[in-house]
Amino acid sequence: MKPHQPAYVSAGDREQRRAEVRRWRAEFPYHWDVDDLVSRRELLQFAVFASGALFVSTAALAGLGAVKDLSGTESQPIARVSDVPEGTAVYFNYPSSDDQAMLLHLPGGVFVAFGQKCTHLSCSVYFQPEHGRLYCPCHEGVFDPATGEPIAGPPQRRLEQIALQLQGDTLYAVGHTP
Amino acid sequence: MTNSHRVGVPVEAPPLPGQAPVVAAALAIGILLLGIQLWILTVTLDLFLSGRGGQLWLLAAVSGLIFGGGLGVLWVLRRRPRVRHPLA
Repeated sequence: MKPHQPAYVSAGDREQRRAEVRRWRAEFPYHWDVDDLVSRRELLQFAVFASGALFVSTAALAGLGAVKDLSGTESQPIARVSDVPEGTAVYFNYPSSDDQAMLLHLPGGVFVAFGQKCTHLSCSVYFQPEHGRLYCPCHEGVFDPATGEPIAGPPQRRLEQIALQLQGDTLYAVGHTP
Repeated sequence: MTNSHRVGVPVEAPPLPGQAPVVAAALAIGILLLGIQLWILTVTLDLFLSGRGGQLWLLAAVSGLIFGGGLGVLWVLRRRPRVRHPLA
């Protein structure tokens, strides 16, 4: 048996319904006819504009990379081989006075040099000969002193390696290794 | 189109039957290409920051190709206006 439905609505119910509509209109004062609709063409235009912005950003980075690559770097003396005992490091600035770098004398008589800038958030990386590692104290990033590759912590890229050249008894920095 | 439209007043032309899904698919592909462009930018930034900035022109060329394709689609659409004038 169906429940009884009243054939009439009382004045109180009508007033309550009007109040509910007024409240809904006050909270959402938009009508379908005056709402702004974005057409497919407008969406496409916006997408092409964004595409242009991405292209300009990529081209700017490529241009900066090419300029940096073409400008090259000058050779700079770092230290005499006899002044860097095995298992120690010498800190220097290369290629500019604002770029910190380090020369490592690894066991076996191998010399390597890296930029000190951590590839995570650009903190300074230090050589810890007692642990045989390069260590970034900011976020505990660890790099291999032989290759500069990240082996622990947040860094994902290897350290910038500096090419070395031995002239007589002196080691020179002669650019960056790709 | 109804007869209630006045003569000479431009009205919106609805897409031809079956054309709307094609347009939606083209837009979806365009958005996907936009995502690829964003990925290319992140790869470019990663290579630039790691000091390997000599070969980035290739990535910029691919990004420019996608942008050129988008401009081409806009050019084609400009030749096909969205409104048409109803006949009397």
